[in-house]
Amino acid sequence: MNWAGAVFGVSAAIALLGALGAVGFRSIFHNILSFALAMLGVAGVFLSLGSDFVAVVFVLVYVGAVAIAMVYAVMLSVPLDLPPRPRSRWKVLGAAGFAAVAAGAIWLVLRPALWIRPGGRPEVSAANIGVRFLQDYVLAFELISVLLVVAMMGAMVVARRSRVAGGR
Amino acid sequence: MLHGYLAFSTLLFGIGLYGLLQRRSLVAMLIAIELMIAAISVNVVALTTLAGRDATLGPVVVLIIVGVAAAETAIALSLFVAIHRESTSIDVESLSELKG
Repeated sequence: MNWAGAVFGVSAAIALLGALGAVGFRSIFHNILSFALAMLGVAGVFLSLGSDFVAVVFVLVYVGAVAIAMVYAVMLSVPLDLPPRPRSRWKVLGAAGFAAVAAGAIWLVLRPALWIRPGGRPEVSAANIGVRFLQDYVLAFELISVLLVVAMMGAMVVARRSRVAGGR
Repeated sequence: MLHGYLAFSTLLFGIGLYGLLQRRSLVAMLIAIELMIAAISVNVVALTTLAGRDATLGPVVVLIIVGVAAAETAIALSLFVAIHRESTSIDVESLSELKG
């Protein structure tokens, strides 16, 4: 096994463990910490693919996302020392069954597909990505900028309006 | 090697889908959606790197996905604040005003 395979194995195990914790723990704090672990694992998977720029972006973006999610979890969730409400066992089993069937269906489509063989392993550098964004995908790049601005303004409007209208 | 990446992303997507269906807190459901988006990103980069002719395309698409996911998270968190202000809870089972 080469280095990329070893990095992929370790990172994938970390990511899957973190993902299981992110959906499995009852406390929202443990969910968020596990989510950070899962995102570190996913960044390692990107490293094993040779996409170091995407790995760095994932770490940076999701560290910020985790910090903000923690603030919102503290602000919005019920106090953590209250006993958790009981949940229906059928709902949990149904969710697990549906997710398993969906993942199985995706795997049945992905596995027998005939993928194009790569022509060597070309170098992916941040400079190449930047050139792509400013030449072939400049429209998508601009649309993302507009989308982010609109989303930010919309978020402010949505979070403000009920206070103005409802007077609470 | 490619099938290892595909299996990993399928598992991660399944875990995220399970969390989305099973959790009741809106913040936890948002975390599950982020897991599913990460699974899709791994899939895109693995396919363009290990089975394709244009390896730079994968990171470009993933950066666009991350941008859209950031916008989605901003809107979702502001909606959570608005919902919390109206009903003092973000438990999806207690948000049933629109139920017929």
